[in-house]
Amino acid sequence: MIRLQQDDFEVGKIIEEAKSSGSGAIVTFIGIVRDDGIEGMELEAYHDVAERELISIREEAMKEFPLHSVDIIHRTGPLRVGDNIVLIVVSAGHRKEAFLGCEYVIDRLKQTVPIWKKEYLKDDERWVEGEHGPRPAT
Amino acid sequence: MKVRIKAFARFREIIGSENTLELHNGTSVLGALKSLSAGSKDFRDACFDKEGNVASHVVLMINGKRISGSDRDAVELDEGDELAVFPPVAGG
Repeated sequence: MIRLQQDDFEVGKIIEEAKSSGSGAIVTFIGIVRDDGIEGMELEAYHDVAERELISIREEAMKEFPLHSVDIIHRTGPLRVGDNIVLIVVSAGHRKEAFLGCEYVIDRLKQTVPIWKKEYLKDDERWVEGEHGPRPAT
Repeated sequence: MKVRIKAFARFREIIGSENTLELHNGTSVLGALKSLSAGSKDFRDACFDKEGNVASHVVLMINGKRISGSDRDAVELDEGDELAVFPPVAGG
């Protein structure tokens, strides 16, 4: 499942759905809104392109590592401190490739997927600077 | 020819999320962005460096594909193209 959505996700349900008879490991990454002195944030996306890039990242990860499945759900819209931002669920036969695959997906997502965060402080607002310069998917 | 410009994040705040420009055939990415910046000093400051080139941190896409390289702003646009302009991504 690859999805951009405003609503929160059901972590347990998506993990259950990622299980298959050959699965020996499922690694989950959840990014959440950290309290950096902010009251909340708004996430903006270039929707169609972001979904397409997420699909590419899944394909890259599955080519790079022996994974059974990769699910990525990224939220958009207004979020508060503590809210979920992104969920990545990677299933594989063994833990090592599941960890590596999950790390690969979140690292690539942060490099290429056109999503931006604006943080709202009590009396101010600021755009979160991207962690990486633009790098095209390979 | 008509070209759609989509802007995101701080660029959207300056010029709005979508603009349609009427441009001469063969207009480059640089030409389109200069056309937009003619009406907005804020956009010009955000988009261009001191030498008048598109700043290196500005990400450009044509029809959803990144354009990169030192001559990226020389790429010519076609009728109906969608040119997207935005800062480095910050998802996750």
